[in-house]
Amino acid sequence: MCSINPAIKFISLLAVTFFLAYRFDPVLNFAVFLISVAAMLLSGVRLKKLCLYMIPVLIVAVGMFFTGYRFSADHSMPVTTADFLISDSRWWNGLAQAGRVLAYAGLGYLFALTTDRIFLIRSFKDQFHLPQIFVYGLLAAWGIVPHMMQEYKRTKAAFRARGLSVVPVSPALLKPLLVKSVRWSEELAIAMESKGFSGHEKRTDYAPVHIQIKDILFLIVCAAFLFAVALLR
Amino acid sequence: MSIRLDNIHFTYFEDRKDLLPGFCAEFSRSEITILTGASGCGKSTLLYLAAGIYPHGAGFLKEGTIRVEGQDPGALTPPKRCTLVGMMFQNPELQFCMDTVENELIFCLENICMDPAEMDRVIDEALAFCDISHLKERTLLSLSGGERQKVMLACLVALRPKWLLLDEPFANIDDASARMIAAKLKKLNRQYGMGILAVDHRLDNWLETADTIRVMEDGVLRPEVMTPGTLDPAVLESLGVIVPGQSYGAEILPAKEGKTVLTLEHLSVHHKDEPILTDVSASFKAGRIYAIVGPSGCGKSTLFGALSGLFRYKGKALLEGKELRKLGKADFGKIGFVTQNPQDQFVADTVRDEIMVGLKDKETAMEVSEQILRSIKLWRYRDISPYMLSQGQQRRLGVAALMAYDCHMLVCDEPTYAQDRRNTKAIMDGLCLQARDRQVALLFSTHDRQLALDYADEIWELREGSLYVFHQSGD
Repeated sequence: MCSINPAIKFISLLAVTFFLAYRFDPVLNFAVFLISVAAMLLSGVRLKKLCLYMIPVLIVAVGMFFTGYRFSADHSMPVTTADFLISDSRWWNGLAQAGRVLAYAGLGYLFALTTDRIFLIRSFKDQFHLPQIFVYGLLAAWGIVPHMMQEYKRTKAAFRARGLSVVPVSPALLKPLLVKSVRWSEELAIAMESKGFSGHEKRTDYAPVHIQIKDILFLIVCAAFLFAVALLR
Repeated sequence: MSIRLDNIHFTYFEDRKDLLPGFCAEFSRSEITILTGASGCGKSTLLYLAAGIYPHGAGFLKEGTIRVEGQDPGALTPPKRCTLVGMMFQNPELQFCMDTVENELIFCLENICMDPAEMDRVIDEALAFCDISHLKERTLLSLSGGERQKVMLACLVALRPKWLLLDEPFANIDDASARMIAAKLKKLNRQYGMGILAVDHRLDNWLETADTIRVMEDGVLRPEVMTPGTLDPAVLESLGVIVPGQSYGAEILPAKEGKTVLTLEHLSVHHKDEPILTDVSASFKAGRIYAIVGPSGCGKSTLFGALSGLFRYKGKALLEGKELRKLGKADFGKIGFVTQNPQDQFVADTVRDEIMVGLKDKETAMEVSEQILRSIKLWRYRDISPYMLSQGQQRRLGVAALMAYDCHMLVCDEPTYAQDRRNTKAIMDGLCLQARDRQVALLFSTHDRQLALDYADEIWELREGSLYVFHQSGD
């Protein structure tokens, strides 16, 4: 999965996501989730990492299960089974809601954990013709994220050092971050410009991203899966 | 074959007086020229003008012409300009936009439309020139400040500009890395004919490299033309420049040794799986001043980060007998931190509030805060945001704000970072006076060995993940 063209992967997985939105089928949802997990593991994503990432998803899935279980289409509800998004079986309904969360999370993680960010942006530039100022601006901003995390901790430590305790998303904590991010973006823009980047001038491309046969095959497999599901279920 | 600036009148704000009031100078490409002077005298501004970043990036060029090799750098497009003038900045953290060293170099070469078939060779040559071929596939985030400056130099070597402008390039790296980079710069000048103009407060790392040293004062160039062999310490000192090998003339009282405030026992810190600190053991006593020195990347900031709660540590760190990570709210503030960047420690909306936050006795807080602000000459700025102060003013406020708090231990990470001699001395005198007066244990890190020798009672060296006593006063 890691070597699939990110733009093609993005379109294929987005198509599956939209398709799932119109299906009320827990079996399909769980099947998509399991296929996604298998694809991630085969692509070298570490099981421990995946398990950690799945913790919040599982919490939401359990919550959605009980929501679906509680609000099935019984006589007390203002909806009927004619509405295809809801069933009169509590279990079926709960599983469908939970499965939907798992399927979406599985597809999301499949894309995020098997895609290199530089490869992704280059592919978007070459396949979707994104403007280079947007592409490299995005990459530069990405580089700032770890600094932001560090700065957040640093600001929190500064408050602590002055005997002040603040809640995690307090405006007092976020204000210095905002000021700094403006300063960083200015410095970064100057540094990029001094290395010859303008956003409008012609550039060469060291490794243009092309669409290969395996990318087309991936797209076909995804499309075939959707057709098969649409015909059989 | 020169950078020529004629009658430059430049200001950042149209309604204020000119920062450069008619600056004239010519710098030859065959020489390595160091431009020095006090903080705020306009050195960096001049460099940004010569690099073509100003005035379109900031400020107003009211009058005057700038010519680099006969061309106006501001009128060129970035791809053309970067082959005429390259710039290395002070902050090594904010110079890159890609993830790895190799990708960053590719980014540079793509910008100047280099043939992709040529790129691998140029990249390998640039990395080899800077002795960092082993870093090619490393992520930029995993590099130390010194390594990042070397990568920046490699980018400039690959771009091959006619001129290289450097804005305090060694402000945040150790002396060994600085000297290595300085030697490479000399090679670039002599071998490839690249003109070099650098701005620096400290001259010691340039002594074996520089051909000419010029001094700026209040936006104009002084007439003295010095060389490393003919430095005039009296002129340099009077203008706030850090003179190589010259004492800071520390004015501190003798130590009255108190009880132990902080004890570190077998402290270790890992970043991901890499050990940064392996076995740090030391104790720090009230009223004494401690300096930590060591090459960049040796773990000084990591040690301070562990003490401030930024990083997890193993082993023991006891503040007056209590484990640091288990301190309750009542003990918050017993250990104060002065950060490398003063903006990292601001917590209030106004300059006055910044001081008042630390004052426990609210009845006298107004009066005391006024006294403190007057003493650091910031009283007139009391109602503005701390972020609107100049860098030197922010540094003074940061130190004063911490000292207003009743802390028992004060940890300062490079408190004189990028300051001129005058500010360096003022900051250190203030810190040490308070440490002695109020029996605070003061621990500071620095790359400047002279500063450590002049101000510290004990100098510790951090190497291979452990702390070793390097020097004790009286040794």
